[in-house]
Amino acid sequence: MIRFGLRLAVAGGREALTRLVIIASAVAVGAGLLLVTLAGLNAVNAQLTRYASLYPSASAEGGGDPLWWSTREDYFRGDQIVRIDVAASGQGSPTPVGIPETPGPGEYYLSPELTTLLAATPAAELADRYPGRKLGTIGEAALPSPDALVVIVGHTVDDVAALPHARQLTSVGADTPALPETVVDLIVGVIAGGLLFPVLIFIGTATRLSAARREQRFAAMRLVGATPRQISVIAATEAAAAAVAGTALGFALFYAFRGQLAAIPFTGMRFFPDDMFLRPLDILVVALGVPAGAALAAWVSLRRVRISPLGVTRQVTPRAPRAYRLIPLVLGVAELAFFIGRRPETSDGQTAVFLPGLLLIMAGLVLAGPWLTMVGARVLASRARRPAALIAARRLADNPKAGFRAISGIMLALFVTSVSIGVITTIVANRGPARIGSTDAGTVSTSFSDDQPSVPDALMAELRAIPGVRSATAIHRNPDRMADPGVLACTDIPQAYGRCADGVAVAAVAESLVPFGESASATRVWPAAPVSPADLRRLPVASIVVGTDASSASVERSRTVLSLAYPDFWVAPNAPGDFESSFTDQLRGWQQLANVIIVASLGLAGCSLAVSVVGGLSERRRPFSLLRLSGAPVRVLRRVVALESAVPMLAVAVVAVGMGFVAAQLFLKAQMDYTLTAPGVEFYAIVLVGLAACLGIIASTLPLLERITGPETARSE
Amino acid sequence: MTIAIEARNVVFSFGQTPALRGASLAVEAGEIVAIMGASGSGKSTLLHCLAGILVPDSGEVLFDGARVDSMAEAQRSSLRRDRFGFVFQFGQLVPELTTAENVALPLLLSGVRRAEALRKAYGWFERLGLEGLEHRRSGELSGGQAQRVALARGLVAGPEVLFADEPTGALDSLTGEQVMDLLVTAAREQGTTVILVTHEPRVAAYADREVIVRDGRVNAPDRIAS
Repeated sequence: MIRFGLRLAVAGGREALTRLVIIASAVAVGAGLLLVTLAGLNAVNAQLTRYASLYPSASAEGGGDPLWWSTREDYFRGDQIVRIDVAASGQGSPTPVGIPETPGPGEYYLSPELTTLLAATPAAELADRYPGRKLGTIGEAALPSPDALVVIVGHTVDDVAALPHARQLTSVGADTPALPETVVDLIVGVIAGGLLFPVLIFIGTATRLSAARREQRFAAMRLVGATPRQISVIAATEAAAAAVAGTALGFALFYAFRGQLAAIPFTGMRFFPDDMFLRPLDILVVALGVPAGAALAAWVSLRRVRISPLGVTRQVTPRAPRAYRLIPLVLGVAELAFFIGRRPETSDGQTAVFLPGLLLIMAGLVLAGPWLTMVGARVLASRARRPAALIAARRLADNPKAGFRAISGIMLALFVTSVSIGVITTIVANRGPARIGSTDAGTVSTSFSDDQPSVPDALMAELRAIPGVRSATAIHRNPDRMADPGVLACTDIPQAYGRCADGVAVAAVAESLVPFGESASATRVWPAAPVSPADLRRLPVASIVVGTDASSASVERSRTVLSLAYPDFWVAPNAPGDFESSFTDQLRGWQQLANVIIVASLGLAGCSLAVSVVGGLSERRRPFSLLRLSGAPVRVLRRVVALESAVPMLAVAVVAVGMGFVAAQLFLKAQMDYTLTAPGVEFYAIVLVGLAACLGIIASTLPLLERITGPETARSE
Repeated sequence: MTIAIEARNVVFSFGQTPALRGASLAVEAGEIVAIMGASGSGKSTLLHCLAGILVPDSGEVLFDGARVDSMAEAQRSSLRRDRFGFVFQFGQLVPELTTAENVALPLLLSGVRRAEALRKAYGWFERLGLEGLEHRRSGELSGGQAQRVALARGLVAGPEVLFADEPTGALDSLTGEQVMDLLVTAAREQGTTVILVTHEPRVAAYADREVIVRDGRVNAPDRIAS
């Protein structure tokens, strides 16, 4: 029977072959996207793993000659540079991954992107931070991305041992450092929830293309004696054959476009092409799972109809969904709301609280979707004044599960991305980088982990001589540990950073002259410090603050001078917002990923809907064509089809985005005590573009309506 | 008597295959005419040309003094919607709608308000012995019931001409007779002209007149005494 089914699929005439090609093409697109999603997950994982490997843990004691290692972050124009200082303690020291040998003192290796940046930037702004000789380029095995800015600088053992974060490694790259699980869970959740589900829905829907025609053929087979079981085997075989061909094509498409896909900065940084790889398990799951799933989908779809020798009888009215489907949704929202003001202390505890809440809402949306569709459709049907709205609403109310199935992917994708975008927008708004050109953006400071007894006058002079620098100030350590950490003579406070109260000689100030979480202000009045001007000079220096005109040249030159003067910095000389800038860049990367998911999932949902439209039209070609013969304008029928697909899709989009924002608000309030900041126009524009693309795909099926409801349908069927 | 609808020397081909080779037929207002003929003789094609579904390659179709064959598609659609009614062999009900909504559909398509359309539709249920089936779906009806609902739908808008293409073709003889009884009675009550395509003499016997289509031409016009 399987052989017979195969013969029917591939040699069953032109119609069978056309059906096979259409289904295989649709499955190819779906399988290709599935492979991209899986490879994307692997690529993100590889990127994060290599990023984590830049921060290795110390090896256990007892190895031979350890490699001394210290990782710190530096910044250049808001981008993060990972600086790794290394020193081999002997012949047996391991060599860092990605370079042929450990650099000696005065030698360094650069990542390709940093090499390019150095070549394009005046040396005083960046290259001077790495005195010595460039030995070569860091290989991709050590880089999270082709865009990564990494430098590996060689030193003596004593120099590295004195640096912050110094550790000894007896092996390098052997133990992959563990990734923070919450991050990985979040990423996997975003990608899986946002894209995998729509892809699987699409593949399932694609295999049901031309289901009505196929069922009629099966009825004819029943007439000549085929048993229901034989029909099931034939249907499953046909579907699996098309899915095998489609999956093979999907693999071909994936490997053909892998390089181009890797070049898209989904996470804000490009991937190496080799990172977009498939594990054997991925290959196995897709190669076997898609055809098996297709066969299963065909079998399930046949269970929904009764194929007798006299024809196909569709189940008249499937059981209506009940209101209990709302329970998980309500529980999820309640769970997140409960933890407002009760945030668990540990990150594991937070994950254990927030992830189930979000997953409950996701599951709740999928479960509640058919019920909501039914209620909406019933309301629409009871109020419909036009025949198109009436027919569309009745069809949706009749089988809301089928109506919702094709758009459930949109719901999840839009929910997940709305949560992500809501959270990201709010964090960026609350912790974003300093405004370009502001005093904050032009303030470079370096704080000493070990207070300096004094600061060389030559250094201050060098800093003041940099074009664009307006002030260079050494802040002394405040002996009053309860007050602001710095003290400064009132006469030395640069005008842009405030002044002292009248009659005060020495003020207590912030180490960077900009209080944490606030902005620099010329009107700020610093409080008096319990230090006399005479004692001030004897206090150790806590930090140096350079005020510039906020031009990148003056900021970066100041940073370079300070880095060279104090190479053992714990935190690199920085401007307020450097860390935030890097952090928000990362967040923007995720935002971009979310945008990609929105457009891709809506496009996919459009394809799924288009398949449903075609299926629905095939099922109703006779009543529709007879309605048309009876004078019903084609535009009415077009409106029926458009309403059946577009109304639930748009309604679901609104519900999903709304629920996403509700969940984001609950999460932000509970986790960070932030209030949701509405995403910018870009988000809505992307959603609208995605929805428009989706509607466009649906519209592309409408010419079929005119074709299949012509007079010949009434004659020939 | 006034001629309600007329075909004059109508020629129509499906590609290279001729279906009508100069068919002529005049039907008087209020008359019930049965078009008979063998399979492939062109009887359904003649009905489709008369109803403005197909446009003849040559010849004329006149309704109420106007040339149907030269009307634009939109005009012909409007004619079919507002002044004609149709009953086909099977499968004409929209499966998602209730039977009452199916019957009301032509009125809704003509812009009648929903409540008014449904009120008129309900009136036909009693008349055709369909009481209690108003809220059923087409899949829940027997063949005879479905055909009576289709008949109600064909007549609800008060058409001047009802076109019936093998209306009993999918029914057993007893049910077919019941449907024909109802069709003829309702048409006579409304004064509706009926053009009926059938290959069954029993069905044709309900007509005032029977014409035979053979090789694309209407032969032996014959009036049956009523």
